[in-house]
Amino acid sequence: MASHIGVVPPPMTPAKGNEPKTAEKIDYLNLPCPIPYEEIHREALMSLKPELFEGMRFDFTKGLNQKFSLSHSVFMGPMEVPSQASETIKIPTAHYEFGANFLDPKLMLFGRILTDGRLNARVKCDLTDNLILKANSQLTSEPHMSHGMVNFDYKGKDFRIQFQLGNGALFGASYIQSVTPHLSLGSEVFWAGQHRKSGIGLAARYNTDKMVATGQVASTGMVALSYVQKVSEKVSLASDFMYNYMSRDVTASFGYDYVLRQCRLRGKIDSNGCTAAFLEERLNMGLNFILSAEIDHWKKDYKFGFGLTVGE
Amino acid sequence: MATRVALKANGKKGSKTSEERSTVKCLKEWSTWMMKKAKVITHYGFIPLVIIIGVNLKRKPTLSQLLTPF
Repeated sequence: MASHIGVVPPPMTPAKGNEPKTAEKIDYLNLPCPIPYEEIHREALMSLKPELFEGMRFDFTKGLNQKFSLSHSVFMGPMEVPSQASETIKIPTAHYEFGANFLDPKLMLFGRILTDGRLNARVKCDLTDNLILKANSQLTSEPHMSHGMVNFDYKGKDFRIQFQLGNGALFGASYIQSVTPHLSLGSEVFWAGQHRKSGIGLAARYNTDKMVATGQVASTGMVALSYVQKVSEKVSLASDFMYNYMSRDVTASFGYDYVLRQCRLRGKIDSNGCTAAFLEERLNMGLNFILSAEIDHWKKDYKFGFGLTVGE
Repeated sequence: MATRVALKANGKKGSKTSEERSTVKCLKEWSTWMMKKAKVITHYGFIPLVIIIGVNLKRKPTLSQLLTPF
């Protein structure tokens, strides 16, 4: 017995040396849950595609309750109309939008109605702990211009599955799986009955604490790669490369995102000769001032916008 | 005789397919009518639904709070 006790302590010191090695060993049965498939480019989109606008925007959100709030929004400015000519056609418009939001941990209802009768509604309901139902629709008074889509998301231990049903016989499904603690791979399939199109896509995402790299390929001809590096707590840099091998269209962009105490500044420059910047300045508690600028040197299209957001 | 039998067989096939076609048409028409009605109901009723759900909570907001923008 004494000999056994004598033998046990010496192995303790080599075990301490082995501890950092065992911490690095990957437990393949205990991987984290991956990001949803449609949010795979989330960090890159947040930095490179802010909500740029042209004109004046005023948003007021009034919270009536802990869960319920109403919002009033006014917009005045030129809206772009898609045209075949090389020049962009802009029509000055002004509209008022009324909205109601209900936020519960299990149910979220979001509705916005415009003065021209368009309704934008979103519903998100947690049916069980792992199953989420989402519905999204844009309804108009004009016939055949309304869209609706319903999603069912199932969250497994280290995977996510999503089914999508839309109007116009649109069916989609996507699956994403964590392969290592940093890498997740996913794929999606969709079938659009009305446009007689179907497609399959693959995506991969590698993220650490400091960087996120994603790649996506689709049978519609799109190849999208992005890389976001978090340089510090306040600064992150992002770059994006999009290539369409059917239409031979290439776009590369590079942007920055500064999250400072009183403001958030995002800027980007494009290979199409387009530079944009978006500033959100916090003037006071609940009062935000927004400036947006987008300059397209190639098409000679200059867009400047300003706005004010009141409320949480 | 053979031609008569052949004609009869064609007649039977025609009636079966016409029945199937009418039931499928009926279903399609009924589902399109339902979707149209559902669209109109959602268009007019979604925002009032959200407001009713929001107002029927524990801390009820008053009508004046609902109407004024302050």
